[in-house]
Amino acid sequence: MPVAEAAAVGQELPSLAKDLTQRRIDVFSGVRPRSIHTDEDWARQKGFRTTLAQGMMSTAYASEMMTRLLGPGFVKGGTLSMAFIKPVYAGDRLTVHGVVKETRPEGAGMRVVVEVWCQNQHGEKTAVGTASGLTA
Amino acid sequence: MAEFPKLTYEALTVGEEFVSDTHLVTPEDIEAYAFAVDDHHPWFSGPSPFGGPVAHPTLMANQALSLRHSKYIVHAGLHAKMEFNFLEPVRPGMRVRSRGRVIDKYERRGRQYMVTEYVTEDETGAPLVRGQFTQMLIPEGTRHAGR
Repeated sequence: MPVAEAAAVGQELPSLAKDLTQRRIDVFSGVRPRSIHTDEDWARQKGFRTTLAQGMMSTAYASEMMTRLLGPGFVKGGTLSMAFIKPVYAGDRLTVHGVVKETRPEGAGMRVVVEVWCQNQHGEKTAVGTASGLTA
Repeated sequence: MAEFPKLTYEALTVGEEFVSDTHLVTPEDIEAYAFAVDDHHPWFSGPSPFGGPVAHPTLMANQALSLRHSKYIVHAGLHAKMEFNFLEPVRPGMRVRSRGRVIDKYERRGRQYMVTEYVTEDETGAPLVRGQFTQMLIPEGTRHAGR
């Protein structure tokens, strides 16, 4: 059964675990010198302990969670808003979480609003936001 | 021929506009993105409710995020906020481009930020994704206190 059929306020969505390897960061951001994402020396010069993953990788993870929840109603008609509140470093493991905050009628279906956040292996939130999409 | 001045807070003007080059979305783009974010949804390479493969909804976000590179040399920056409205799926074979406009710049707690609204559209000009993003500027000769 699609999760959306059972979406209820307060429902916790199945979490996702993501390992942020340098290889994945390289493919996501494109390798180039003088990049805090792919040039370790440059990242250190800029004050970071090593290379950082782009915040946009966390939006992709939240998007995956919402597509699993709502299918086509997120791909077309979905929204996503995230703030990146703590750096995510190469080698970190993120866990992506979501909790249904609201459901409201829209068109022929319902809009499901979800609070989303990413947390690193130390239990620190790295990105927070809200996503929504439509049920069929 | 384009010239590329260094991006500084002072040089940046609210209201200035950016446009990307047009990019042909290939199956390889979609496959590489799937690897990068470790999400291998079957719709990315096979049938979907939209009649064929579709890309990950956020596939073209880096095209929008890089808009300022179309006019400036960007020393370094951090992405602070991102908003998407997914209007139509991005599909392989589309030729897409992003356009943006700086809608705000501000300084907070000694840091400089710019806010850009953007649209990513197909070759007919039909919008696929709209939204806005906030980027922090890390000026040349300075370090960000990594947290």
